[in-house]
Order: sequence, then structure tokens, then C-alpha cells
Amino acid sequence: MMQSSPLNARRAIIWIGRLVLGGIFVYAGFSKLLLPNTHLWPMFMLKFSVSMNIASFAQQVESYKIISPEASQLVAHALPFLEIVLGLLLLIGWRLRIWATAITLIMAGFLAAVTRAYVLHMDINCGCFGVPEKLTGMTVVRDSAFTALALLMTIFAFREAREPHPWSAPEKA
Amino acid sequence: MNRRRFTAGTILLCLLSAFAVLVARATPQTEGVTDIDPHKAFGSKNAPVTMEVFSDFQCPACKTLFTSTNRQLMDNYVSTGKVYLIHRDFPLPMHAYSRIAARYARAAAQIGKFEPVEQVLFQNQEKWEQTGDVDGTVASVLPAAEIAKVRALVKGGTLDAGIDKDSALGQLYRVSQTPTTVFHSKGQTYPFAGVMTYDMLKQFLDQLLSQK
Repeated sequence: MMQSSPLNARRAIIWIGRLVLGGIFVYAGFSKLLLPNTHLWPMFMLKFSVSMNIASFAQQVESYKIISPEASQLVAHALPFLEIVLGLLLLIGWRLRIWATAITLIMAGFLAAVTRAYVLHMDINCGCFGVPEKLTGMTVVRDSAFTALALLMTIFAFREAREPHPWSAPEKA
Repeated sequence: MNRRRFTAGTILLCLLSAFAVLVARATPQTEGVTDIDPHKAFGSKNAPVTMEVFSDFQCPACKTLFTSTNRQLMDNYVSTGKVYLIHRDFPLPMHAYSRIAARYARAAAQIGKFEPVEQVLFQNQEKWEQTGDVDGTVASVLPAAEIAKVRALVKGGTLDAGIDKDSALGQLYRVSQTPTTVFHSKGQTYPFAGVMTYDMLKQFLDQLLSQK
């Protein structure tokens, strides 16, 4: 009897989720630090560029009017690095269930904030990537799609751990 | 384990390539400063650093930049001959009254009253952007004779050419948002988009000025 290929729909979605979400998170983190101001040399230029980009991002976080200005500063300084680390961990695939869950929770948080701003007709920038981007219905649709992908990836990662495919499971003695 | 090493290596290669693209993109330009309106420029032309600030009077971030940095910048850097400050108009299309405000500010500059008009426009931004009453806002800080001159200049229709020149210059610098501050020092040009605090600006200017 022929055994089925290890590349089933479940594993395909996990791979797609890792590549798409991992890539997006890494890009989102770097773009918040290095866009729109990208002067990399000498060192004081780089420092000023990154400071200005983080200051702009802090303004965008504050414009959602969910957290205080001080908390916005904290988020603006921490989130880009968190996104880069999580994105890389997802791409590498180490301890997938933990980081996939973390990314799903973060995406759910982003989706909630963006949806709230859209429903309240707030005329603000998304703050998703380094360049200014108006928050529109398409932003909500895009974030919904990514959140759905993250959720599926996480669910399938847990299922894969419980019922691994015969080709990838360790052989019974 | 080999697969994980391969993945990590591929990611590292992608990141290095992206970094190389960013470095190539970030090469500073070496153009000089042109088309300076002397009524909207402050300080010594021979100052070691020139700052061009592309701004929109209806832009909240521009207001933040103005209120947090302008006074100290003028006192500590412009009046001491360290920085030559040039105001550039870059009215954004989504702001209904920003071009009108730019016209009034330009007209006020021509009679030597740019600073008080700039201040009153930014300080009362939330009011006049709702009502469109730029004229009333400017009139509140100018005596009758001066507001009459400003109104005549605005009605004359000659001010748009200067605004368009500033906007065109902004396109050359790839200005896509306001405020954008373009620093010129030792033949190099560094555009920076976004808001900065005075502390950040001070540190940066001190570093620029100390460069050999």
C-alpha cells in the first residue's frame, strides 16, 4: 500500500504561515527601526535615524488612544525588536508551538486595535510598517487574514505535535 | 539540524542583502541649497549647518516639532551663527486650508512678520482647521495696517509660485511626509522625516558641528 506524502494540507499551512508571518514580522520590526530615515553611517547618524523612527512610531501608537503616552513610548521602543526576534524564531522553526502562539496573540491584539480605530472612524496612520500608511478597511481585512493564518498555523502546529505524520514520527521499537 | 542551519544561513543572507540595499539607498546627496526666500530664512548664511524644514501648517506633527524645538533652536543655534534655518512650505493635499495658511505666512514674511504669524497659526491649529478662518487667526496678531498689507499680498495671487517652488524642491529631496528636515553640512545632505525632540536635535546638531 502506498504511504501518503508528508506534505499534506496541515504541514503546507504551517510552512506558509512560518514563511509569510515570519517574513512579515522581521520586515515590520526592521522597517520601524530603519524607515523612513535610513542614514546608516556614521554611528551618530544611525542613532539619530533610529531615534527619529522610533519617535514617529511612538506617535502612531499614541494616536490610537488606547494606552498612555508613556506606555506608547515603551511599546515603541520594545515592539520592533520583539517583532524581529519572533519573526526569526518562526522562520527557523525552533519551539514552533510557543512562538506561533505568541504571534497569534500579538496579531489578535493588532487586529483588535485596528478594528476599533476603523469603527471609530479615526483618521490615523496604521503604524504597521515604517512608512506612513493610512488606516483603511483594507488594513482591517489584511490583519484579519494574517490573524486567521496565524491561528491556523498554531492549531496545526499543536495537532502536528500530537499526531505527527508516519514519515516524521520516531519509529516504534 | 542541517536543515535548521540551512534555514538560518538563508535568513542571514537575505538580511545581509536587505542591509546592502538600504546602505546603497541611504547614500547622502551632495546638492547645495537653492531658491532661498530671504524673508523665511534665519541666521547666518555662512553657518556650518543649514536646516531646511518642510512643513504644513495644518499638520499636527509639524505643530509638535515647532512647539518643542523652535524657540530653543533659534536661541541656541540660529542666533549664535551655528545653524542657518530655512522654512519651506509643503502643503499636503489632504489638508483643506494648509495652502491658504502658507499664503498668509508667506505674505507676513514679506512684511517681516513671519515669526508671530507662524506661531499663532501653529498654536491655534485645532481652531482654524475646523472653521477655515486663517484670516481671523492671523489678524489677531497683526495691527490693522499690517493685516491689510498681508490681505493685499494674498489677494495678489503671486505667492503660490513660491509655495510651488518649495514643494518642487521637496520632491527632489523625496519628501513624502511632513515635517521633513533636511540638514546640510560639509557638502552632504541628510533628509530626516518625522518629529524630533529638542534633546535629540541638540545631540545631533552638536555631533554635526563637531565633525571635522
